[in-house]
Amino acid sequence: MADSMAEFFTELQLNYGYLIRPLIVGTLVSIVCSVVGCFIVLRRMAFLADAIAHSMLAGVIGGYLLMKVFYQQDSNLTAMLIGAILAGILTVAMVGFVTKFSRVKQDTAIGIMYTGIFAFSAFFISLGSVSKYIQIDIYHFIIGDIMAVDNSELWLLAIVASIVLPVVILFYRPLQLTTFDPIMAAAIGVPVMAVEYLLTACTSLVVVSGVQIAGVILVVALIITPAATAYLLTDRLDRMIITSAIVGVLCFWLGFVVAVFLGTEPGATIVVMMTGVFLGGLVFAPKYGLLADWIRKSNTVPQEMMEDVLGCVLRAKGKSVPVTEVLKHIKKPAPRVRKSITMLERQGLLDVDNDKVLLTDDGRFQAKKLVRAHRLWETYLDRTGALPKEKIHDTAHLLEHISDEKTVEYLDDKLGHPVTDPHGSIIPNDSELVVGKDLLLSVLRDGNRATVVKTNGVAASSDLKVGEQITMGPRTDGGQIWVVVTSAGEKLSLTHDEVDAVVVRLLEDT
Amino acid sequence: MIANAKNSDDVPAIKVQHLTVSYGPVPALLDVSVEIPQGKLVGIIGPNGSGKSTLMKSMLGFIKPDVGTVDIFGTDVSQVKGRVAYVPQRGSVDWDFPITVREVAAMGRYSYRRWWQDLKKEDFRLADEALEKVRMSDFKDRQIGQLSGGQQQRVFMARALAQDADILLLDEPFAGVDAATERAILDVLQETKEAGKTVVVVHHDLGTAAEYFNLIILLKQRLFGFGTPRQVLNQKLLSDVYEGNLKVFAELARHPSDEVDGG
Repeated sequence: MADSMAEFFTELQLNYGYLIRPLIVGTLVSIVCSVVGCFIVLRRMAFLADAIAHSMLAGVIGGYLLMKVFYQQDSNLTAMLIGAILAGILTVAMVGFVTKFSRVKQDTAIGIMYTGIFAFSAFFISLGSVSKYIQIDIYHFIIGDIMAVDNSELWLLAIVASIVLPVVILFYRPLQLTTFDPIMAAAIGVPVMAVEYLLTACTSLVVVSGVQIAGVILVVALIITPAATAYLLTDRLDRMIITSAIVGVLCFWLGFVVAVFLGTEPGATIVVMMTGVFLGGLVFAPKYGLLADWIRKSNTVPQEMMEDVLGCVLRAKGKSVPVTEVLKHIKKPAPRVRKSITMLERQGLLDVDNDKVLLTDDGRFQAKKLVRAHRLWETYLDRTGALPKEKIHDTAHLLEHISDEKTVEYLDDKLGHPVTDPHGSIIPNDSELVVGKDLLLSVLRDGNRATVVKTNGVAASSDLKVGEQITMGPRTDGGQIWVVVTSAGEKLSLTHDEVDAVVVRLLEDT
Repeated sequence: MIANAKNSDDVPAIKVQHLTVSYGPVPALLDVSVEIPQGKLVGIIGPNGSGKSTLMKSMLGFIKPDVGTVDIFGTDVSQVKGRVAYVPQRGSVDWDFPITVREVAAMGRYSYRRWWQDLKKEDFRLADEALEKVRMSDFKDRQIGQLSGGQQQRVFMARALAQDADILLLDEPFAGVDAATERAILDVLQETKEAGKTVVVVHHDLGTAAEYFNLIILLKQRLFGFGTPRQVLNQKLLSDVYEGNLKVFAELARHPSDEVDGG
């Protein structure tokens, strides 16, 4: 048994041994990229990372040529690395410069700078006189050649990982705080700019070492996609970082294995795999996925439908209404209407008994507010004449759901506190008439009694004394004139402006 | 007014001298000098784009001024760490950020730990206490985007309380919250003030300014007025600052209900 086991491993080693190094290197690249990627995604720096990855080609070429021309050395890794880091910093600096000193915005500046630097590099190495010295394969620069990694690249990556990962762990809180709330960070003494430079330096390091091995596309995808996937799956930064690393590594392995068996380009296969996983997350993520969103939406009942149900029951004038009747009136899918009835019952606005519904006191109050909004909107639409008569009701029906207090108050005031709507139905104002509350005299209706609290010095209303009891009479002049009966029995005719200047307190039983 | 031991110290909580800040050719703030005494509830008011937020960010040490200094309890703001707590404007927060209510509150404790140290149990206890105070304990593990506007505001209030700083700066805390939350926030601010702390609020609504604050900073690029609401909310100053829109303010200037001020 042990023998066959050993045999199996020897066989494995012989056949697939060449895969071990790429796998180790790939795992390291995936972890480093996807951890740093979380901060990059949250800071909306994804495009900048892409730019650094592309423009470092210039630095690689610079380092290569320098060593070749002056020291006759081929592919000196250190020189190319330093060149790449310099190119990365230069890109960031130029983007910063253009953004700061021109009206061009950052994303545009990034787009211009990195395509420019990248294209210049490609142009430069394709010049006849230069291409004698340098053999850099742009295709491999872009798509990578992970199978061909050697030990020096493995070492480089190990060093980068042992710098970057401890930095993220040690600086976790400063990184989190400067990303989330840089102003507070500054207030408690975190050097915000220094932390940003630190993150940019780490990003450059990760990108530069990664691109040598895995190519631009794979590195950029490893930075952005796993982090974005984790963003859809978690609600906490620490978990996002761990999830991102796991997603990155798993996708790398899966893509790698698939590439080996299908003989496809590993870099491309891995990126395809990651994108697929992201799209899967986009649809199926338990909380932020499209599916979850859809289910949530179909489980909630729109406010409008609940309001329609209330209005429908109100029309029964205090009698209970069979549910079937409600369903007949509201031309919406029956299960959703039933659900709104359940929701209303839960909110204490409806009583449901034996498949019959009845408004509670709260429910009647709410329903009347709706009717008030509806009739005020109808009056408004009628007076403005903006709509043909036959459309008024339907439009008001849509508008009545805009029934926040301020809107309704505005309409009421603008229309001169009308008592009836264009069809002659009373516009209810029970919700306004709160006993003991200070109200404007203008909202009172025929028969309401109140005490005067304040008169704001408008001429005619000076007949009203503070503390005096008054009774509101019926409106005259088509609702334009308020008739107030004083305690002495005197009748005062007041205009809209005048009644708006008087504050009263409503008395009970009116 | 409650006499407070801390208030006997007469170093101003915030001293701004000749502050000029510019983002381009036009300065956002020009030669602003103001001394905010300790233990007061102060409103910064002014029209849109008048530099209110810029002044606040300078007081936090987030913006480096072109000219001028900001001192916090007599020390330059760049040397001061954690004595000023900050409640951001709702619109400036990334509400999709992967962070829970409790984690935000715990941020208030960051200034008490070295940057590489983890927060201790004690810190989370204090964060929880702060959440309790603003009645957000039931939402501890929610992601911050899953809250209503008023609740979101209260989470950041809890963060400021957990920081237990001497100065509390709030950027438009009443924008877009319901009346109940406005009341609740105001109560917490009053309590904070009564505990001897200094509270500075960027505020939009002139109508409530007189009622809410002991002192008012009237700002429009330059300092137009600083003093009690009675001193500042007069027709002349307001018309200088809010050219044209005076109908509302005529009413305001008539009965500012500011309390009698000791300082």
